Amino acid sequence: MLQEFEFVGVLSAITLTIPIVTLLIAWALRPKKPNPAKQTTYESGMETIGDAWVQFKAQYYIYAIIYVVFDVEAIFLFPFAVALRQLPLYALVWAVVFIVLLVDGLLYGWRKGALRWN
Amino acid sequence: MLPIPLSWWLTVSAALFSIGVFGALSRRNAIGILMGIELVLNAVNVNLVAFWRYVIPANVEGQIFALIVISVAAAEAAVGLAIVIAVYRRRHSAAVEELDILKH
Amino acid sequence: MDALRLLTPEITITIFAFAIISLDIAWNDENKSRRILPWLAFAGGLATLLMIFYIWPHVDQYNYTAATDAGREVPMLAVDRMSLFFKMIAVLTVILVGLSAGEYVEKHTPFRGEFYGLMLLAGLSIMLLVSSTNLIMIYLALEFLSITSYILTGFLRRDARSIEAALKYFLYGALASGVMLYGFSLLYGATGSVDLATIAGSLETTQAGLVVAAVILMLAGFGFKIALVPFHQWSPDAYEGAPTPITAFLSVGPKAAGLAVLIRVMVVALPAFDVNWTPILSLVAIFTMSVGNLVALWQTNMKRMLAYSSIAQAGYMLVGLAAWSAAPPSAVAYLGGVDAIMLFLLAYMFTNLGVFAIAIILENQMGTSEIADYAGLIRRSPYLSVALLIFFLSLVGIPPTSGFIGKLFVFGAAVNQGLYVLALFGVFNSVISVAYYFGVLRNVFFEKGSDESPIRVGVAMNTVVTITVVMTLLIALYGQPFIQLAADSAQILAANF
Repeated sequence: MLQEFEFVGVLSAITLTIPIVTLLIAWALRPKKPNPAKQTTYESGMETIGDAWVQFKAQYYIYAIIYVVFDVEAIFLFPFAVALRQLPLYALVWAVVFIVLLVDGLLYGWRKGALRWN
Repeated sequence: MLPIPLSWWLTVSAALFSIGVFGALSRRNAIGILMGIELVLNAVNVNLVAFWRYVIPANVEGQIFALIVISVAAAEAAVGLAIVIAVYRRRHSAAVEELDILKH
Repeated sequence: MDALRLLTPEITITIFAFAIISLDIAWNDENKSRRILPWLAFAGGLATLLMIFYIWPHVDQYNYTAATDAGREVPMLAVDRMSLFFKMIAVLTVILVGLSAGEYVEKHTPFRGEFYGLMLLAGLSIMLLVSSTNLIMIYLALEFLSITSYILTGFLRRDARSIEAALKYFLYGALASGVMLYGFSLLYGATGSVDLATIAGSLETTQAGLVVAAVILMLAGFGFKIALVPFHQWSPDAYEGAPTPITAFLSVGPKAAGLAVLIRVMVVALPAFDVNWTPILSLVAIFTMSVGNLVALWQTNMKRMLAYSSIAQAGYMLVGLAAWSAAPPSAVAYLGGVDAIMLFLLAYMFTNLGVFAIAIILENQMGTSEIADYAGLIRRSPYLSVALLIFFLSLVGIPPTSGFIGKLFVFGAAVNQGLYVLALFGVFNSVISVAYYFGVLRNVFFEKGSDESPIRVGVAMNTVVTITVVMTLLIALYGQPFIQLAADSAQILAANF
């Protein structure tokens, strides 16, 4: 039992050591000349405006919901694709029926304006 | 070779289930309750996959069941979030205790 | 018959549902042809009913459709007479609710295609659920039914009450199905199978504690659908806030589906398992009847009162299941309580949908469903008043109505098995229920209303009320075929396992 966890222990030790050592080397070698522009969070980016905790438009959620549903439906296509060679032809027909039903859902969302940004 | 005994997985799953049910019953925000429910479903998935691997690895029913739970949970969450958004648009709040138009 | 032909009712209703939704998005809002959508739904319901009648004579043995897993067949759906009986109830509910929804939907929402499409899909989900012989299929169908019900409950999304009802229904429902699923996973682990018949075969060798825990967790999911105490808290709010036709649907469809799946799990998966379920079922039945009837006494809103009344009715149905479970294990084929449940359900469906049809008519006219507004109905519409009287007599269980026959069989089954206390509770509860039903009738017949204008009843509504009144009386006065139907349906289930 314990021996099997040795691998995990050794692996954790190595993965922790590598970044720590790299950071230490960088810290020892780099020149230290701070100025205010360098100290900002995004040194060469845009100035930040306001608070990060603002409300998003509810429309983002509509997109997210549609995305998540289609994303998860792909779960059913993976096992199907893996087993494709051993499956009879009608299995392909059922997969097509499944996709057609999904497309019907997407068409519905499109026609009802769920994909329009306003 | 199965180094970790089945009971460990079941313990993790039971803990997840308890946390999820507790969260769903104690949270006041609809989104918080949904998160609790998702934990319950994940506990189920841990159970299903663990039982499949340890008890009956020959049949893939446990795996299939877990996949179906994941996708149905997504569909359910989509409908739930849509309802929460509709409530929010009317009440400007997702706090469940403020839903008191219907007598309790 | 081959699997595809056994599933013609499901396939028919699916095609109609998707035709309605597709036509709805193909036509724009101004298109006049959209008016046919409700009739298309009606035609879909009738076609499905015809398909059920068409395969009925061919289903005299255990038929199932199977998926293949590692070279062995896994049954997914059983098409037996029991499931056909419940499918008939589901489709009749969809047809009657669809007919009575017309004017209400016209008035309250522009989304007609979605409404009727979802109604048919809800019917489909019930048809799948009552056939399921497999934990995966049960879960899928149950979630299908739940999700369509959530959407239909919150269908009037500009109405704060409808959307609040939907959120409450959803939060309770999602948690209940999660808990049920945990029970499923334990049962799967204990037996190594998701098929109900295989589970029945491997149960004896496993630990009792795990299985009892799994069954109690599962009861949360099924009990939620049937609205059994203590899983009933969602139902008054959901019933009051939902669009009234949907309330009518919720009071029959999901209840029938939940009962069917509970019966199937109890009869198929658990009989060989040596645990006495009678005390648990009796206790739940007693609580469900008593809580439903006692709280109904205080209600002032018709929909809310009917919510509690239908909780109580579900309690009566559970008495039948308790009676079945009390039969000695040697008589596995004895289904004395189950056919009583089916007869009761048939009577309950027509009666309750009739009451709701009247509630919808009055809401269309007056805009509220407060019981106080029912005052003086006898002068405004004598026909509806007498119909309401008949329905309430049936809900109480007074002859000559179908509710009497249903209760006679259910309580009779309990007495047969020596469950005298349970039967006594049932009768006592029926007496309590007289108070609130007759409170409404007192308003209708003896109070003076502020508005005396006659009630206008459309053709579709008239049809629904007439059909339900006739059936409510017919099942009582000419009961033999219906009793035979219920007994046949239950016996077939027993013969197969």
